[in-house]
Amino acid sequence: MAASYKTIHPVKYYRDFLAQNVRPDGRSLQTFRPVSINVGSIKTAEGSAIVKIGNTTVVCGIKAELAKPKAEEPNFGYLVPNVELPPLCSPKFRPGPPSDQAQVSSNFIAETLTNSRCIDLRDLCIVSEHLAWVLHCDLICLDHDGSLLDACVIALVAALRTVELPHVLYDAEAEKTVVSAEKRSKLKVHSEPVATTYTIFDDEILLTDPTNEEESLSSGIMTVVVQGDKLCSVHKPGGSPLTDAQLQECINGAMKRAEHINKLINTALKSHET
Amino acid sequence: MAGMHLLSDQGLRLDGRRANELRQIRCKLGVFSQPDGSAYLEQGNTKVLAAVYGPHEIRGSRTKSLHDKALVNCQYSMATFSTGERKRRPRGDRKSQEMSMHLRQALQAAIRVEVYPRSQIDIFVEVLQADGGNYCACVNAATLAIMDAGIPMKEYMVACTASLGNGDVPLVDISHLEENSGGPNLTVAALPLSGQVALMEMSQRFHLDHLPKVVECALQGCRDIHQILDQAVRRHIEVSGAVGWGIRPQVKL
Repeated sequence: MAASYKTIHPVKYYRDFLAQNVRPDGRSLQTFRPVSINVGSIKTAEGSAIVKIGNTTVVCGIKAELAKPKAEEPNFGYLVPNVELPPLCSPKFRPGPPSDQAQVSSNFIAETLTNSRCIDLRDLCIVSEHLAWVLHCDLICLDHDGSLLDACVIALVAALRTVELPHVLYDAEAEKTVVSAEKRSKLKVHSEPVATTYTIFDDEILLTDPTNEEESLSSGIMTVVVQGDKLCSVHKPGGSPLTDAQLQECINGAMKRAEHINKLINTALKSHET
Repeated sequence: MAGMHLLSDQGLRLDGRRANELRQIRCKLGVFSQPDGSAYLEQGNTKVLAAVYGPHEIRGSRTKSLHDKALVNCQYSMATFSTGERKRRPRGDRKSQEMSMHLRQALQAAIRVEVYPRSQIDIFVEVLQADGGNYCACVNAATLAIMDAGIPMKEYMVACTASLGNGDVPLVDISHLEENSGGPNLTVAALPLSGQVALMEMSQRFHLDHLPKVVECALQGCRDIHQILDQAVRRHIEVSGAVGWGIRPQVKL
């Protein structure tokens, strides 16, 4: 009975739950879903992490390649993120070129990396003007159940912290590059950004960490990225307007969650090292 | 001759297995919430995910719809970080398209397509880590995912590889190193109980006299893998069959 009501009138179905201050999956309006992180499971990648937020699953793999730095930035390496939303993650996505959502997500991740200054591109330069590392960060969503950007950012940061780059010897005259087989130095990660997604339902109710259904029924969505005790970015692509107070509430919630997530990443990394 | 060193004097291969031993297989069904059926399979170091959507209405051109069968559509994709060298094009290159086609041909032989006329079944396979036997792991994972989706099949479709070591000893389930050593590679996708072969592919060459024992080695590998997959499916049904479909209990950490 409930299932047919949900299919015929999903918005009313949700409103009935929200009137009791609870969501269909049992959470309150401000509760986050459980997060689980696993690092270093993909041996062919230099760094990897798999993150699950509820049912949303994102795997991040980082591959390192060598390239010549750009002429106008001879001391900088490259950090190239890419978000893939394959058709296996959701029936919304069809096979073919990257969808709009994938491109917007890739752009968001790229901007988050630059804004948070999480990796100093100068650390990636081996020999100025001649040789630098290119880190390809590929994020593949395996199951899309809302809060995609949250999972992507957590997976990316966790994977970056496991990356170990081999030492490279470069002979400038002979233009020969020798990569040592034993990987040695860990990549220095200067800050850990954490993203939190909120949606606005019916122009007034704020839902934290929405599922895919909630995202599709909502009238607006917002993602807040914090790092430590600093606000890194707020991404609100249109949708219902929010008051100042609501915005502040979201930012506070994001700050608290960031602490919890960072502790979780540290635990995952420690158990990976042992 | 190529493949001379694949088997040591004690009869051990490069990774310590014997000639007739499979790599360790770990699999799990129903790993994702969005697809109708999903499975994760590890065969040694090769890690593969499969997701099945369907049967549903034909998307795209209606002209492709078959009046008496379902349309089976497969997509094989490798993550860019799955191989030693970063893969530039995860899908759409010739090798992936060939694999997609072979997957479709093998699975079409096992799925009871006549039960769903004018509809489409989508099977997506993603390789997260490639260490040899990618095609076989994909077929096995796809079979599990199709089972999880509840689509009827004639039998399990199981695939396995075989090769020749030291010129005359058949080796089962070859890894990436053994594939590239230059020895012959035989891939077989078969229905294990009835012994019918749906797809067979071979590269390199060996003497015709060796063919029957290599094929038999691969088919025995298929039968062994079938037992493992069957156990996994039964375990999954016992554990989760009683719980309501699609509603997974949320556990607070």
